[in-house]
Amino acid sequence: MLLIDCPYCGPRNGSEFAWQGVPSPRPDPASTTPLEWRRYLYEEDNLAGWVEERWKHRSGCRAYLIIERHTATNEIRAVRLLGGTPL
Amino acid sequence: MTARLPERPGEVIDRSSSLPFRWNGGDYTGMAGDTIVSALAASGVRVLSRSFKYRRPRGVMTADFNDPNCLFQVGDEPNVRAAHRLLEPGMDTSSQTSWPSLRFDAKAATQALSPFLGPGFYYKTFMRPRFLWPVYQRVLRTFAAGGKPSPQPGHSSPDKRYAHPDVLVAGGGPAGMMAAISAAERGARVMLVDEQHETGGYLRWSDSDGRLALADLRTRLAAADVEVLTDSVVFGRYDHNWVGVMQRSHPQGERLIKARAGVLVVAPGLIERPLAFEGNDLPGVVLSGAARRLLNLYAVRPGTRAVVLSANAEGAAAAADLADAGVEIAAFVDARAGETVVRAKGRTGVRSVELTGGKTVEADLLVTATGWTAPTALLNMAGVVPTFDPESSRFVPGEMPDDVMATGGIVGDGSVADLLSHAAAVGQEAARRSGHKAVHKAAAIPAAAALAPPSKEPVELPTLEPEPHPPLFIGSTSGFIDFSEDVTTKDITAAADEGYRSLELAKRYTTATMGPTQGKLEVINAGVAHAIATGRAIAGMGTTTWRPPYAPVSLGALAGRMLEPVRHSPLQPYHERVGAQPIVAGQWIRPNHYGDPAAEVTAVRSSVGVIDVSPLGKIELRGRDVPKLLELVYTNKWSKLAVGSVRYGIMCAEDGVVMDDGVTARFAEDRYMMTTTSSGAAGVYDWLEEWLATAHPDWDVRLTAMTDAYASMNVAGPESRALLERLVEGIELDAESFPHMHVRTGTVAGVADCFLWRLGFTGELSFEVHVPAGYGLHVWEALLEQGADLGAVPFGLEAQRIMRLEKGHFIVGQDTDGLTRAHSTGLSTLINSDKPDFSGKQELEWSEADSGTMLVALQPEDPAVVPPEASQVLSGNTLVGRITSSRMSPTLGRSICLAQLTQDHAAPGTVVTVHLPDRTRVRARVMEHHAHFDPEGSRLRG
Amino acid sequence: MSNKGARGRLPARFSAFDLMRRRRSWPQAWRERDLKSTYDVVLIGGGLHGLATAYYLATNHGITDVAVIEKSYIGGGGSGRNTAIVRSNYLTPEGVRFYDRSVKLYEELAVDLNFNVMFEQRGHMTLAHNDSSLRTMRWRAEVNKLEGVDSSVITPSEIKQLAPYIDVSDHSRYPILGALWHPPGGIIRHDAVVWGYARAADAAGAHIHQNTEVTGIDVEQEKVTGVTTSRGKISAPIVVNCTAGWSSLVAALAGVKLPIVTRPLQAAVTEPVQSFLDPVIVSGSLHVYVSQTARGELVFGASVDPFGSYSTRGSLDFIEGLAGHVLELMPSLGRMRVLRQWAGLCDMTPDYAPIIGPTHVGGFYVDVGWGTYGFKAGPAAGESLAQMIATNSIPELIAPFGVERFAAGTLMGEKGAASVGH
Repeated sequence: MLLIDCPYCGPRNGSEFAWQGVPSPRPDPASTTPLEWRRYLYEEDNLAGWVEERWKHRSGCRAYLIIERHTATNEIRAVRLLGGTPL
Repeated sequence: MTARLPERPGEVIDRSSSLPFRWNGGDYTGMAGDTIVSALAASGVRVLSRSFKYRRPRGVMTADFNDPNCLFQVGDEPNVRAAHRLLEPGMDTSSQTSWPSLRFDAKAATQALSPFLGPGFYYKTFMRPRFLWPVYQRVLRTFAAGGKPSPQPGHSSPDKRYAHPDVLVAGGGPAGMMAAISAAERGARVMLVDEQHETGGYLRWSDSDGRLALADLRTRLAAADVEVLTDSVVFGRYDHNWVGVMQRSHPQGERLIKARAGVLVVAPGLIERPLAFEGNDLPGVVLSGAARRLLNLYAVRPGTRAVVLSANAEGAAAAADLADAGVEIAAFVDARAGETVVRAKGRTGVRSVELTGGKTVEADLLVTATGWTAPTALLNMAGVVPTFDPESSRFVPGEMPDDVMATGGIVGDGSVADLLSHAAAVGQEAARRSGHKAVHKAAAIPAAAALAPPSKEPVELPTLEPEPHPPLFIGSTSGFIDFSEDVTTKDITAAADEGYRSLELAKRYTTATMGPTQGKLEVINAGVAHAIATGRAIAGMGTTTWRPPYAPVSLGALAGRMLEPVRHSPLQPYHERVGAQPIVAGQWIRPNHYGDPAAEVTAVRSSVGVIDVSPLGKIELRGRDVPKLLELVYTNKWSKLAVGSVRYGIMCAEDGVVMDDGVTARFAEDRYMMTTTSSGAAGVYDWLEEWLATAHPDWDVRLTAMTDAYASMNVAGPESRALLERLVEGIELDAESFPHMHVRTGTVAGVADCFLWRLGFTGELSFEVHVPAGYGLHVWEALLEQGADLGAVPFGLEAQRIMRLEKGHFIVGQDTDGLTRAHSTGLSTLINSDKPDFSGKQELEWSEADSGTMLVALQPEDPAVVPPEASQVLSGNTLVGRITSSRMSPTLGRSICLAQLTQDHAAPGTVVTVHLPDRTRVRARVMEHHAHFDPEGSRLRG
Repeated sequence: MSNKGARGRLPARFSAFDLMRRRRSWPQAWRERDLKSTYDVVLIGGGLHGLATAYYLATNHGITDVAVIEKSYIGGGGSGRNTAIVRSNYLTPEGVRFYDRSVKLYEELAVDLNFNVMFEQRGHMTLAHNDSSLRTMRWRAEVNKLEGVDSSVITPSEIKQLAPYIDVSDHSRYPILGALWHPPGGIIRHDAVVWGYARAADAAGAHIHQNTEVTGIDVEQEKVTGVTTSRGKISAPIVVNCTAGWSSLVAALAGVKLPIVTRPLQAAVTEPVQSFLDPVIVSGSLHVYVSQTARGELVFGASVDPFGSYSTRGSLDFIEGLAGHVLELMPSLGRMRVLRQWAGLCDMTPDYAPIIGPTHVGGFYVDVGWGTYGFKAGPAAGESLAQMIATNSIPELIAPFGVERFAAGTLMGEKGAASVGH
């Protein structure tokens, strides 16, 4: 069970959070091509190591968070609000 | 013949008690404090079980939880660790692996076949003739080890517990006790967990100095603020120091404790390792620790004439204890002087022991003290990689993460004083490290600030190193390495010779370490035997990946109470009172019908009915930018929705696949109410939040989940307006004032702040009434009461499903699937490609010409045949689709369907073949409209 | 059954008579070889898929200059961590055909490989707890029947007869309304399958290199030229990524990006008890599957973990949820004990179907994205892959599973079942 230090709620069990993976930027809908769009929909780097992922404190404050997590050890070294600075 | 000795100074039995119990059908007695096995041993029983493969007789070997020969059936509980489980009066116990009886096991004949039963023998045979394989399977399965699971339902376990100790100490021997005391004395909240029934570890069965030291430790522990759990085990260390503790001693049964530990201190001590030699599994061959436990805790004499093989101080101590108890020491074999045991001989127990040089000594007991295995499981689970230390012939911990520490025998050897001083320092340091966490937490939880860190600087740990120990693993003769699995030295060698040159492969091939002890007794010997067989250095032997749980834990305790929520509407008391037939729909339990769904349909079509639609997802949206959000998530146009109006829309994911559908109403300039499908409510709420958080944080939109805030009921049928007119205040209900697809707020049956909209799934004139949840039941009952003379009836989900199918409305997830794009619903008019962007737009544009399948209405040519849902549709022999919904229509008196068909078979008038599950076929025609009934919708708009 | 073309040398034949007679050790099941500097085909990953491919390349097509490169020991990844269930009752006709071929190969495998893989066809039962999952079961049954696969929907009383420990009463939290019953499904000794293929592939001439890690894939002008390993370079015109768990990382070595997220799948095993459960029991709604091995242990698995990870350490929440759901199905097992838990790595694709075939790098093939179904697929995947390599054309059986479907936006329909299933 991960322990995630939510900037609003403090340390909470990982089961309160929903994982959303490493976000990829949404192509410009006006000019996108099928190939570019489907890369956006489906392709993944799927790295083994430190990644910046998006999580949601779904069973808590429902904030969207960016979490730096090591995908091989599940170690977490930083949690911050999406689009915001650390509180 | 009793083997019970006169009173021993450290004994744990109550000599004033007499506990009768049964074993293999016979009557026995023991004393309070006895384990099942110590009571049997005291009664002179030597053979306790038969081995798994060769059915060899087995007796006590380790006399503790790990004893591979002492797994009993106790009542309806299989695989009880009988050398650990305390005796209770009236217990009905039996050995597990023997047929027809323990004395004579018919399968012992397999011993004669042992050359045939080498490692992996089953992979090499039973293949031909093939038709006999099912018979072989049955025979092999009768060899399954273990007891019988109870067929009777019912397990009870106390509720689970959460704990947040600063320091959690795994192991209640002297080092663990001292670490706990020292951490607690520095202000840490400490939990101490030990597998034994009492704290003290090896001091419990040691000499008078040891007992004195233990008494002192127990006094200090009692004074310190430490929560002590005995007969409990730390079975797993998971991510971020989430620690599983199983409290076996809880009065109501096993209890699972989930602890988020600041620092985990691992102090499990050492496990004594057997030596592999011929006959090492005979009853009467025991480890030195087992001999001392039997003698000193239970006052049981394990034999009368003993050979002691000793490579360490424990062996000498065991010999002294035996002599003290009147056991004759026939030979003391000093391994450190190069002497050893060649083989033990006997049939159902040791009769004699052959020593190096060929000398044979008559004895009924062979005690071995040949070294230790470090149980590094919890360290492994924390990512620590222990290394093999050839000097001490055991694994030692490697580099540790900050939140895990180790002390005691797992770290090194020394006098009790040496161990205690190391443990005291570890306890202090653990308190210090967890204190830092407490300070960190203080920012969030002010109360935690009271826990001041005890020391700012890291505490220096005194040196504790393992003592040298002779490398005694494998004797000169082949013996058992894995007692639970009947794997011998020879088997490991054979596996290596056959090419299984990785230890992991050899373990899997021979099944060594796969049994109930999971390697605790056998892993080192297996590794050494394999290293020798493959010509590798023992020191290079890789560490084993110990996996959780460290000790087996029951399903009942892990499961605890089923806490998965069930959701009921506020109208549930009514449904229960009238005995509605329930149906499970996701988390919701809803009324499926009230007796006769077809009659409910007829009532709605002819007069009026009321259905509880409270599970409908409801989300309130407020703010200036709500229209922008609606434009983004729905496929159709929303910006011009007038106040007081309601619109239907489809939502797609970004791949164009239909995700949900529903209506949204505009109450005011900046206030909307969205509905979703019952099962989609949570997902849509997430989806809206996600768009706002990730793409448009600047938009002024606030969302509130309202599903539970309202009781919702749809009043449907030609008399629905007449009924509501009797109850509604403040709203004109006539068609002109309140047209179809509009919303009004007002008072219903005296309840203010209700909102109503004119729409429905049934195709009839209908009003959906949303009432503040607390008043829902009142309004529902008022509707039925006031409508009695109009013929008002409650109707359930089934009637609604029939009526919506008559109207050709699709259900997301039933008539669509995970690949159905919006065009395939046949509602292309709801896809507005003029909008600059909406979720799914791109894929819908690219796939418009060919969106795969199409949803169509279908009517079987034989009106009496209702093809079951999921029946496949064929054209010739080609699969062209499937029936997604089907019912007998009470209104039309014929079968009706919705189906997903490939585009080339979706044209109205096309005749296709439906393949029914019973392999008969029926022809069916594609209809012009989705609606089988009232395609113009005149009833709805009336 | 299997189309045996030019066969390589057969391994030593096993028989009961041989077992009795033999007093000295058996010949090595496979040999340790020197790493050659060149091979016709390099298969990355010494699990079931790589070894089966090597075997079929040799026996069906006479291609024996093949290296199987394994970074650890053979079968140490997904092949040794799965729950060893074999079945073919999938949802899409393409899926059913493919897995049915695998079941057919499994049925003959012990005799083909002369190694008893202990395939026990005790039946496979998927429980339905609500009308929507019952509808999906019927959908699967109907597609299965049309493809000639034995599969049908059965009632609670039939369930009770086949598995008496199951609670089919209607007062449980998740009442059982019916089940999809698939008699040819069952369990197998997964290690034995790996060893049997390895032994036969080795005898036929393929080289199995354990403890050898591929650290680079050499590509020149969009064509693969070989691999770099921890033991040296190999040049080869054909390189196949047969890995699981690390398939994204291996593909990245060749500059190929995949639509895959790696997620752990956890499993657990109990202490053995006397045999009491014949069929494999699956509940999609409860995210659990259970079978009893010949040794008497119950083997459990769940759905993949809620977040992507390369960690193979088990979690406590997993065994808690699992235990709750197993007891929901079989309430009398509360006193059985979990002996060991572990995790394997599953490469999940967006449509719950694998990716097999060529990539934009010439000569570099993938056989990846096997999610939670790679083990059942092994024989058919190996056979098809061997055929593809030997004939340089894509066999019909695997044509639907090419990587190009993602760029084309035409995904497979097994996700269709998953999203409808519960």
